[in-house]
Amino acid sequence: MATTPLSANSHGDHASHELPFGTLVGILLLLMVLMGLTIGASYVTLPSVGPIPGIVINNLVAVGIATIKAALVIWFFMGVKFASALARIWVIAGFLVLFLMFGILGDYGTRKFEQVNGWETNVPHNGGETALPRVWPPEGKPSSTPEVEQGFRPR
Amino acid sequence: MAAIAHDTHEDHGALHHQFENIEQQNDSYIVGMWTFLVTEVMFFGALFLIYTLYRSMYQMDWYLAHEELDVKLGAFNTIVLLISSFTVAVAVRSAQRKERGLVLANIGITIACAFIFLVVKAFEYSAKFEHHLYPGPTFGSVPEHLNGANANYAQLFYGLYFGMTGLHALHIIVGIIVLSALFNLWWRKCDSVMKDYIPTELVGLYWHFVDLVWIFLFPLMYLMPKPH
Amino acid sequence: MSAIPVDPTSAGNGVISQPTPAASETNYINEFGGLKSWLLTGDHKRIAILYLISVTFFFFLGSLAAAMIRWELTAPAGVVLESDTYNKVFSSHGVIMVFTFLVVAIPSVFGNFFLPIMIGARDMAFPRLNLLSWYLYMAGGILILAGMINGGVDGGWTFYTPYSSMYSNSNVTLVLTGVFIIGFSSITTGINFIVTTHKMRAPGMTWFRLPLFVWAHYATAVVIILGTPVVAITLLLVVFERAFKLPIFNPELGGDPVLFQHLFWFYSHPAVYIMILPAFGIISELIANFARKRVFGYHFIAFSTLAIAGLGFLVWGHHMFISSQSMYQGIVFSLISFLVAVPSAIKVFNWTATLYKANIRLQSPMLYALGFIGLFTVGGLTGLFLGSMGTDVHLTATYFVVAHFHYVMVGGTMTAFLGGLHYWWPKMTGRLYAEGIAKANAIIVFLGFNLTFFPQFIVGWLGMPRRYHYYYLAPEYQVYNIMSTLGSGFLGIGFLLPAFYLSKSLVSGRKASANPWGAHGLEWEIPSPPPSTNFLQIPIVLDEVYDFDPVTEYEQDRAQQAIENSHEHPGMMDSHDETASKLEEGGH
Repeated sequence: MATTPLSANSHGDHASHELPFGTLVGILLLLMVLMGLTIGASYVTLPSVGPIPGIVINNLVAVGIATIKAALVIWFFMGVKFASALARIWVIAGFLVLFLMFGILGDYGTRKFEQVNGWETNVPHNGGETALPRVWPPEGKPSSTPEVEQGFRPR
Repeated sequence: MAAIAHDTHEDHGALHHQFENIEQQNDSYIVGMWTFLVTEVMFFGALFLIYTLYRSMYQMDWYLAHEELDVKLGAFNTIVLLISSFTVAVAVRSAQRKERGLVLANIGITIACAFIFLVVKAFEYSAKFEHHLYPGPTFGSVPEHLNGANANYAQLFYGLYFGMTGLHALHIIVGIIVLSALFNLWWRKCDSVMKDYIPTELVGLYWHFVDLVWIFLFPLMYLMPKPH
Repeated sequence: MSAIPVDPTSAGNGVISQPTPAASETNYINEFGGLKSWLLTGDHKRIAILYLISVTFFFFLGSLAAAMIRWELTAPAGVVLESDTYNKVFSSHGVIMVFTFLVVAIPSVFGNFFLPIMIGARDMAFPRLNLLSWYLYMAGGILILAGMINGGVDGGWTFYTPYSSMYSNSNVTLVLTGVFIIGFSSITTGINFIVTTHKMRAPGMTWFRLPLFVWAHYATAVVIILGTPVVAITLLLVVFERAFKLPIFNPELGGDPVLFQHLFWFYSHPAVYIMILPAFGIISELIANFARKRVFGYHFIAFSTLAIAGLGFLVWGHHMFISSQSMYQGIVFSLISFLVAVPSAIKVFNWTATLYKANIRLQSPMLYALGFIGLFTVGGLTGLFLGSMGTDVHLTATYFVVAHFHYVMVGGTMTAFLGGLHYWWPKMTGRLYAEGIAKANAIIVFLGFNLTFFPQFIVGWLGMPRRYHYYYLAPEYQVYNIMSTLGSGFLGIGFLLPAFYLSKSLVSGRKASANPWGAHGLEWEIPSPPPSTNFLQIPIVLDEVYDFDPVTEYEQDRAQQAIENSHEHPGMMDSHDETASKLEEGGH
């Protein structure tokens, strides 16, 4: 298909924006291979490296491969390769702030530094009893109790 | 320096009144679309953040819960989406070269892929509903489908599973609508797409983004390694 | 001044002048008639007017709720409202004011109207998207109102889980859906601002010739783009949790409700800057144009705007010092929160330095601007009390917090909104309002505001918690609350008066010239009100921004004094307008 006669306009302004058909096919195949690699890697339990547990490495590998796939799609399929500097800045800024948001996890990491009662995670709890009367489903129930309707204003 | 900017107007059917020339217009649309995609990245990013936190908290239970998901169907859907992403890229390329037939064919394949994805997704969802794996009071009432996971944490997993894949499926549905509209414009040989590849490119960017989300969703939802 | 010959009748900005006289007959208001031409318009100016009407409406509703709160608090055991109703009233006040007024008001009204004009563009980059943003805003606003009318919503504007997701039996779903939709309205506006600023600038309009108003709106747009989607998905998950029982923040199933607070404040702290940065932009314009000087440290103000936008994303945790957040992360957040004070202070110092030895004209917009600087400084400095972890433990969820953010949001954003409204009213409507009453109103707002909110600092420091309406165990709070309610009455008058005299100007106000203030900027080069396409030909910008010439300024000032002396003092109300129009005719 790449060798079909080019139409009259293909040598115009946008000619430089086009990827060869072969490259597109190559990217697709590469993406497929990477997908196969992820599936394979998920069945292998990787060994721990020093203090880093194997499961973390496994996850890093999975996310790493996904990131490579995403980068391929962004760079070639989405045409960032040809995009203006401005568009590239936006692509980078987006992921940078996303990375920043993961700073939220810092809270959960550092909570363990100082144990405070009630802060522990992974505590098995007693099956859903809570102090407040639970309204479920919340919508459509009468909103007030007789006390509220009579009023308990302390005059 | 030209004192009167109107002079630079070209005779171009698709140029809107607020722009000076077609380059400015094209750039504006591309930057605008990327800006929108950044908002989408943040939108899904928050979900991925929640996922990361809860998965790090409940690794084993989530691993056990995730075994109910069908890797084969997930992989099949991944292939379908990758192919659709490829065909959209080809469609954009053909739009630049003004090869109408190829554009129509490739958009058609993309729409078909989107429908296949949704049908497979529907099968997966219905299986989960049969097994009472949807969040709510009856969650886990068929215990053998929990694979021994804590029902509460498994419910958290399926809450995120349905939330994330559901929002992704919603994006696919929107994509089908937009792609169909684009197909219609090409079919009717409208100037807005025939003379200007930007509309096709914008739809393409959106569709690639939908593919991107799935590229992350697939390994995170379907392919958890076994914790030690 | 420049190589290209400049038309001597132009205001001296070095801008190729517009062929105005014939064109001033038709403008964006009268060119097309009928309701349909307004509701289907793509014109950024008309959309801004639509926004102006709608945000005023929502502001009025929010003020009603505020009045009810203030009335209820005059007695230690309440006056009229039940506890349940009180919860719904203060929640309505918060939701309406934050989501339908503060976030939207300045960008969507003045940003929409003036950003394209200030950079020399014919319209926003995406006019239809711009119109869509108004419809989304209205749809969201109507959903919120539907929720309020259909039984109200409680839990405050922050919708903390698990109360909002599991226990509240008010219309949380409806209201959150409305907020979600308004989020999309914000996003579309943000996309438009970014693309317009990048791509639509006139030839010669370099980044450092942009008015600071444009810088401020650009930074705001960046914050909107990066922050709003996060709160959108967070609120959507609460909706899902209520509607489909998706247990995302449910602590019974191992979810973490504090995660909601993290995600919520990841947007909502930057959202504070979405509310205040455009106000900074307006104030920079007002200070420069009424001090008749180039803003001192233009680059510093421009970059401090970006710095605030950037740092704003790193401080969300200071809302959560007592929320079970790790104290180690709290330390980091406290530190970075102090850093935000630096760019904010840079702005205040630079505005103040601009006033030094300036030829200040104390007209009504300038009075608002000066009020802004004082009130924002108080609001900002009290923020430091809340940013330090130790004092915050004492002050969290007291009236000190309420007073702090009202100083920033009302004393800051609302004052700037009024200042901008008075500054650009002649340009937007082509009519002059009565200057005397406008000046008086600026003073009423300033005094009424301080009387309302300063006592709240004291009562908060003494320990009165926010969101409570009974304080009968501490009746000593009553005197402060009565002062506050009294002040809120004055403030209410200060907000109502402009509605009257500005409306009156539409009917009987005199016609405004193209540049009634003698201000600099592209928006003053075109007729009032502007024609539909803004510029009949796209201008070429040759000179720097705020390019006031000291000698000309001195001469103008002398001329104005001479005119004032020659008149037999024609009355406070109109003297300015006449002298201004005389200056317009002969001053240049």
